[in-house]
Amino acid sequence: MRRLEMILSRLAWFVPTLAGLVVIVFLISNVIPTDPVRILLGENATQEQVEAMRVKLGYDKPLPVQLARHFRDVLLGDLGVSIYTQRPISEDLAKRLPATLELTLVAIALSIALGIPLGVVSALRRNSAVDHALRVVSVSGLAIAAFWLAMELQFLFSMKLRIAPLNNRIDGFGPEAVTGLFIVDSLLSWDMESLRSAVSHIALPALTLALPAAATIVRFTRAGVLEVINSNYVLYQRAMGMPLGLIVWKYVLRNALISTVTQIGLIFGVLLTNAVVIETVFDWPGLGTFAVQSILQSDHKAIIGFTIWTGALIVIVNLLVDIAHSIIDPRGAR
Amino acid sequence: MTWAWRRAFRRFVGDRAAALGTALILVLILCAVFAPVLAPFPGDVGDFHTANRLHPPDGVNWLGTDRMGSDLLSRILFGARITIAIAIIAVGTALVIGVPIGLLAGYYGGWPSNLLMRVSDIFLAVPQIVLAIAIAQTLGPSIENVILALSITYWPFWARLVYAETRSLKNEVFIESAIALGASPWRVMALHILPNIASAIIVRTSIGMGATILTAAALGFLGLGAPPPAPEWGRMIAESREFLPEAWWYATAPGIAIFLVVMGFNLLGDGLRDILDPRIRRGGGAK
Amino acid sequence: MTALLAVEDLALGFATDAGLAQVLDGITLAVERGQVLGLVGESGCGKTTLARAILGVLPAHATRISGGRILFKGQDLLTADPETVNREVRGRAITFIPQDPFTSFNPVFTVGAQIMEVMKWKSPRRTEAEWGGKLPPLATRYPAGRRQSDFNAVIELLDAVQLPQPRQLLRKYPHELSGGQRQRLMIAMALLPQPDLVIADEPTTALDVTIQAQILGLIRRLATEHNVAVLLTTHDLGTAYEICDAINVMYAGQDVESAQVERFFAAPAHPYTTKLLASLPRAAGTASGIPGEVPLLIAPPSGCRFHPRCDRAAAQCRETRPPVDQFGAGHWVRCYHPHRDVE
Repeated sequence: MRRLEMILSRLAWFVPTLAGLVVIVFLISNVIPTDPVRILLGENATQEQVEAMRVKLGYDKPLPVQLARHFRDVLLGDLGVSIYTQRPISEDLAKRLPATLELTLVAIALSIALGIPLGVVSALRRNSAVDHALRVVSVSGLAIAAFWLAMELQFLFSMKLRIAPLNNRIDGFGPEAVTGLFIVDSLLSWDMESLRSAVSHIALPALTLALPAAATIVRFTRAGVLEVINSNYVLYQRAMGMPLGLIVWKYVLRNALISTVTQIGLIFGVLLTNAVVIETVFDWPGLGTFAVQSILQSDHKAIIGFTIWTGALIVIVNLLVDIAHSIIDPRGAR
Repeated sequence: MTWAWRRAFRRFVGDRAAALGTALILVLILCAVFAPVLAPFPGDVGDFHTANRLHPPDGVNWLGTDRMGSDLLSRILFGARITIAIAIIAVGTALVIGVPIGLLAGYYGGWPSNLLMRVSDIFLAVPQIVLAIAIAQTLGPSIENVILALSITYWPFWARLVYAETRSLKNEVFIESAIALGASPWRVMALHILPNIASAIIVRTSIGMGATILTAAALGFLGLGAPPPAPEWGRMIAESREFLPEAWWYATAPGIAIFLVVMGFNLLGDGLRDILDPRIRRGGGAK
Repeated sequence: MTALLAVEDLALGFATDAGLAQVLDGITLAVERGQVLGLVGESGCGKTTLARAILGVLPAHATRISGGRILFKGQDLLTADPETVNREVRGRAITFIPQDPFTSFNPVFTVGAQIMEVMKWKSPRRTEAEWGGKLPPLATRYPAGRRQSDFNAVIELLDAVQLPQPRQLLRKYPHELSGGQRQRLMIAMALLPQPDLVIADEPTTALDVTIQAQILGLIRRLATEHNVAVLLTTHDLGTAYEICDAINVMYAGQDVESAQVERFFAAPAHPYTTKLLASLPRAAGTASGIPGEVPLLIAPPSGCRFHPRCDRAAAQCRETRPPVDQFGAGHWVRCYHPHRDVE
């Protein structure tokens, strides 16, 4: 019951948070000293054309009215039309979302697969050479600019060593679209050709994305395991002669993981932000490249749309993480 | 009180990581301040010599030249100024806005405080760079706008932090007794609460500098920072993209510069945390 | 060698940043089968360290054992094969009741899951055939037949420790139970493997005063019923008097006196012991203390470590540690100037 209450209260905050996000983004976009209408129409538009467009787009109405209209539009899913693609922005975003999602999910999986075992080893062999090396690497991982790392890795593996594809998501048309996630779709339609291509293309970008996240996971897992290892319940199990492997992999790991799960939400946010810049390096057709192209085109509406979608995505993921955390940790303390 | 500080100082100096961090930051500051003197080609910040473009590192240009023929080493040294300016001003502004808001909200409570904190939560729900992109793109590419974007998106972090610390401190007995003795709210906040939360703020400031530099570099990479020919490190990396794989030095140098600087702030922050506030739970230092 | 557990001249220290802390300095102790031995001393005297040394759970990298033996049923635990000791001694022949039952339970598993985990590995019904398996612990199965009989044994013992509605209780998480309930569970877990010796490290310190007497009584009663020896550490002489057959006194890492309980309270010999007994609050309202402080073990006093605070101290006490002086049946003391009066 307590858990249900908690979930409901979190859901209750979900809506105002998103609403507030929309408001803030709207206010931001209206601090413009530049004239969006003029930008839309280009340099050569006459004053009458600009005025006419301004009325048509509703920029002449007072701010609260504009806000209300904006809200209505957002709720209806209408984020305007992209200057760059000339298509509805929501359509563009929807098309690109699976690409970013797939990249991020694979990156999370990689970072967990790398980070947790290394964190456990680092804690168990505390203050050994391995531990020190891992700690140096994980501290460094947090200081590297993600886009720079992406470029250097691309340089090394794609250009020099030629073992990874240079860019894009897949060669050819890709598998039949069901979820939009190429790996899943390839498996669903048993398209081995597409699967191989998708995996080879996602490898380097996902790895680049995963490394800084893995560094964070190593740090937190290490701290979590150390804390648990020195706890009284581990002492009790050791005193009662339980097999060491059991203590570490069944009990210590479970307790240490609980704090790591909380971090996953944070890590997802970090991953998503890094994805934005990394996508441009690899020409990955996701939300990130959309954002960058919109920036280059000064496409305000597109940027606003991107901000809202990304923000919503992260809020949703954090909500899911909270729910997962409450299920894993019976103490319910948060 | 003083001998506790002295002991802490000695521990700090003995901590090699913290010493390294401090050294790196000092180097950064020196580079920035003395750039005109240190740079072999100080004019290259603005001038260009296209005949010399994309030269690999050699005796004349230690780090090579960029696409305009400018000496990379000189540009990086001058870029340090931009980096420091952005870091200090953005973080400073966020502190100046966020800390008082957090203090007042934590001290007085009530619905205005709740509202402020909810607004902060909204800002914090979204990664800083996402909002910063929106703001910077709206305002146009320039250093000032980057700083503005970063400050606007960073103050909620401090407000939330200071709010939480203030609220928990407010329940401490020594605060209650200070109030009971008739101390004015300003006095309580300035003399009693602030010194106690100072350590948490200081530690996070150092780490926040590093994070801000990374975000600023990303904004520069995306084209939202200072326009050319300003030697902003992120933009330099973006420029270098089209010249890979031949001109590898072009991308490497600014990237390493960013790495060293952020490392410096992170190590410094870790070192400060170990001596100032060992009770903050963080990865890597648990005993 | 009739003693179930015999600690002979155990000396060990901990490596710290400030140097080697000489935590135990030649401790000698013996527990007979079925006997309840109280190990009494102030906080920091080393009794918990001694308990952990016997259990073998001291931090490996910081501990320096400089001498002595820990003989359990004639075998030296310090030199025996660690794998065998972990399997057959710990949690089986020697079990443990910790000081704080709250933090000694894993908070994210139900108490039932944790008890059954102990039973899976340490049940007296576990056969040699199972021991032979070389599978990693996570892959080892729990035979269904034994599981049922183990579970029945658990319920039976939970009744014996007076825990109501055992089946529902086992489904709860540790934070949902009271301190008394948790400690009763710990007692049950310590008895389920049918051990020869239970080491109880200050089992009532973390409990309310009202519950303490119940728990102590329970420990005593069950120990007698199941013919299990108990090594009980405590800083409280009252506790020791309640349930112990014999008492050993420790001070600053040295053992100073050992006696049967009646004789201990009637004719204490060591100056420290007499001061301890004198410091118990009297009905008349007086209480006395012991001047001075417990020494730091980085640089402990030489010879008899109590000499700085002892009003009977002489030069001899500073130089060498007093040898064991047999005072009578089952009563020895390590002192050059013990109280020989009384009786």
